[in-house]
Amino acid sequence: MATESENLESLVNRRYEHGFVTEIETETLPPGLNEGVVRAISARKNEPEWLLEWRLQAYRQWLEMEEPEWAHLHYPKIEYDEISYFSAPKSDDDRPKSLDEVDPKLLETYDKLGIPLHERARLAGVAVDAVFDSVSVATTFKEKLSDAGVIFCSFSEAVIEHPELVRKYLGTVVPRRDNYFAALNSAVFSDGSFVYIPKGVRCPMELSTYFRINAANTGQFERTLIIAEEGSHVSYLEGCTAPMRDENQLHAAIVELIALDDAEIKYSTVQNWYPGDENGVGGIYNFVTKRGDCRGANSKISWTQVETGSAITWKYPSCLLRGANSVGEFYSVAVTNNMQQADTGTKMIHIGPNTRSTIVSKGISAGKAQQSYRGLVRVMPQAHGARNHTQCDSLLIGKDCGAHTFPYMEIKNPSAKIEHEATTSKISANQLFYCRQRGISEEDAVNMIVNGFCKEVFKELPMEFAVEAQALLNVSLEGAVG
Amino acid sequence: MKRCTTDELQAIVGRMPTTRDEDWKYTDLTRARDISSRWLTMGDGTPSSVLDEEIQRITESVEASWLVVANGEIRNLATVSGVTVDKLDEAPAGHHALAELNAALLKEGLRIVVEGTIDKPIGILVIDGTEDTSVSQAYIEVALANHSTASVIEYHASLGDADQYANTVVSLVVGDGATANHVRVQNRARNHVQTGRTDISVGKDANFRSAGFDLGGGLIRNDIVINISNAGADVSFDGLYLAGEGQHIDNHTRVDHRVGPAISKQEYRGILNGKCRCIWNGKAIVHEGADGTDADQANHNLLLSDKAEIDAKPELEIYTDDVKCSHGTTVGQLDETSLFYLRSRGLDREHATQILTHAFAAGIVARAPVEAAKEEITRLMEARLARMIQTDDNFSS
Repeated sequence: MATESENLESLVNRRYEHGFVTEIETETLPPGLNEGVVRAISARKNEPEWLLEWRLQAYRQWLEMEEPEWAHLHYPKIEYDEISYFSAPKSDDDRPKSLDEVDPKLLETYDKLGIPLHERARLAGVAVDAVFDSVSVATTFKEKLSDAGVIFCSFSEAVIEHPELVRKYLGTVVPRRDNYFAALNSAVFSDGSFVYIPKGVRCPMELSTYFRINAANTGQFERTLIIAEEGSHVSYLEGCTAPMRDENQLHAAIVELIALDDAEIKYSTVQNWYPGDENGVGGIYNFVTKRGDCRGANSKISWTQVETGSAITWKYPSCLLRGANSVGEFYSVAVTNNMQQADTGTKMIHIGPNTRSTIVSKGISAGKAQQSYRGLVRVMPQAHGARNHTQCDSLLIGKDCGAHTFPYMEIKNPSAKIEHEATTSKISANQLFYCRQRGISEEDAVNMIVNGFCKEVFKELPMEFAVEAQALLNVSLEGAVG
Repeated sequence: MKRCTTDELQAIVGRMPTTRDEDWKYTDLTRARDISSRWLTMGDGTPSSVLDEEIQRITESVEASWLVVANGEIRNLATVSGVTVDKLDEAPAGHHALAELNAALLKEGLRIVVEGTIDKPIGILVIDGTEDTSVSQAYIEVALANHSTASVIEYHASLGDADQYANTVVSLVVGDGATANHVRVQNRARNHVQTGRTDISVGKDANFRSAGFDLGGGLIRNDIVINISNAGADVSFDGLYLAGEGQHIDNHTRVDHRVGPAISKQEYRGILNGKCRCIWNGKAIVHEGADGTDADQANHNLLLSDKAEIDAKPELEIYTDDVKCSHGTTVGQLDETSLFYLRSRGLDREHATQILTHAFAAGIVARAPVEAAKEEITRLMEARLARMIQTDDNFSS
């Protein structure tokens, strides 16, 4: 017990430990966005003509769009012309073939982050495609994966090596003009991960990417595309940390998942971007479009997320349940503290017959943070036998925080069975008293209650992530005690 | 009594909310706008020849002291001891287009002030019946003095085949320690449009009980806004909507908890059969400092036809931590096992469906806080359910 909950008191006032800047020479485009920048990014990556054209169309569409204002978020207007849209570690020409060739300074960075790439990867059996700023510099366990026929590489590499796959699937789940940030990403996306699991293959290991924002004033625009062919299975882990910095950094990523017949994709995220300090200075703006397409019959896509970081989070991992009997899941724990703001949730669009979805969302709000759950469950007229269960609970810690829920349910088929439950409460005096009278300290008690509150979601996480998540959760729940 | 020029009125009509407004996402007021624009160029038509008959029928069906607003004009002012009733020449200037329209076009408003304990319910019948296209406004203020008790029945009805759009604004003030029991029955004709907004302010340690029944109408939008700015308020309100035959019924509720401790509970139930669309949007806002708030929302829907649609949105906005808030929403069908059980006892599908839907709705009627209105509500509800089920193809076998 003591070990588990030494956390709270010490972690409450803990500084963000991943806050440092690695000084590596980076080649960065000057701030500002225009067609020239889009062309430069594309040329820098030796992209084929069709992709440049695709980016340019996205850019032109973005120009015509307006930044959304409906979210329950308040932040100063983003000056898109003050952001630099590309930054890559130098010496890109001779990219490292193995870890030995990786810039030792980079490896040092990972060490500081507590991710000794080689060791961790081998011990945990996890392949890590580490994105350092905008270009992937190290990829491990490629051989083992390629034996299984799995393609796991950086997005830029996939564009060169597997253009037919990229071209076939890119933008089919999140269209270019899906939303303002998706259009921006489509125009200037820097890099990201690409995963292709062939027919009938169960990916031999969990795939993982660590993202890291490094250079100042550089927006990160990752793009991830995961394709699970018929009967395949993959579990993908995404986690991120960012250095401490006083300027808000824009992060607008896109994740597209495609599950064909009988395929299953499990996508887990631990998000720990720099949240800004106690006064709300600095921190990452995290505007992410994540969507999975259950294209095939009996396919399944499961999103699990633990969101503890970012100054502002705007994120709705969604599932399009197209295939008959397809399944969508969303498990989320979101923690906001100090001045953090989060507007997050999910969309489950039931299109095919007998589709099922489950939503479990746990929000914890402390300090002066504002958190919203925004969700949509839509049952289309042809989606016979759709089933949804939604559970969304909020825990409030402190007088000045807020927790809000905006769930939309649009049901157009009479055979649908839809349930939605939500509760909001604080840690009850009775619960605390019960623990205290059994000799458990107040800190331990609060910790225990919070962990219990999130258990349903944690059990969905892969083992190694669950440990990290639990530790993260205990960080800086200021005001929880007392 | 038009207070604005026709151009000004057309401008107000032009400002009516559209589906681009988040609060009106699912309800398109184009029909109301069209009727209003057309009517502005035509003016009032001939009152329906059966209007008086219908008024008599309704006022005799429920034992109450009736006040009648017919085609926007006040018909009779009953004298009840402890109750002061006044005609108002104008309504306060509204802060949104529908209230503006109400204030601009209002013929006569009604103010009811209650002191002491009134046993006999006060009935307010808002009825419209014309041979031609019509637009009517009703503005009603009800104030319960501190520590008073009263029951109020709002009954909305309409007659005629011509296009009608009725817009009502109701303000209900429940004084400190007062108890208000309120029932709203809406049984307008199937092709008529109604928008109605009710603002309720609840005093210290006051009680407010309410139930709304939407049994008719074509396009109906109800906005209920409850303001709790005093400690100890106890609020509970329910709603029942039965829809089919192209109906569109939208219930938006909003409870502002500004001070705690206070309780608010709401339960809305809907039965949808045939082509129709219903919306329930419940919002509870717990403001900073409203500690000890207990807010609960429930919405349950029976979807019986593949042409029916329900859009439900239970919202909570909470800005303090000492609260207990919850909401539950379900959408489902009649339980096949229950249907089978009844059919195994020799009932046909239609009859079995009627029994089960009746049971689903009856809870809301049973809880209606004004005893005198229950019989009429039950009669209307049963007739409506029977018609909904008979006219649907699903049950013709």
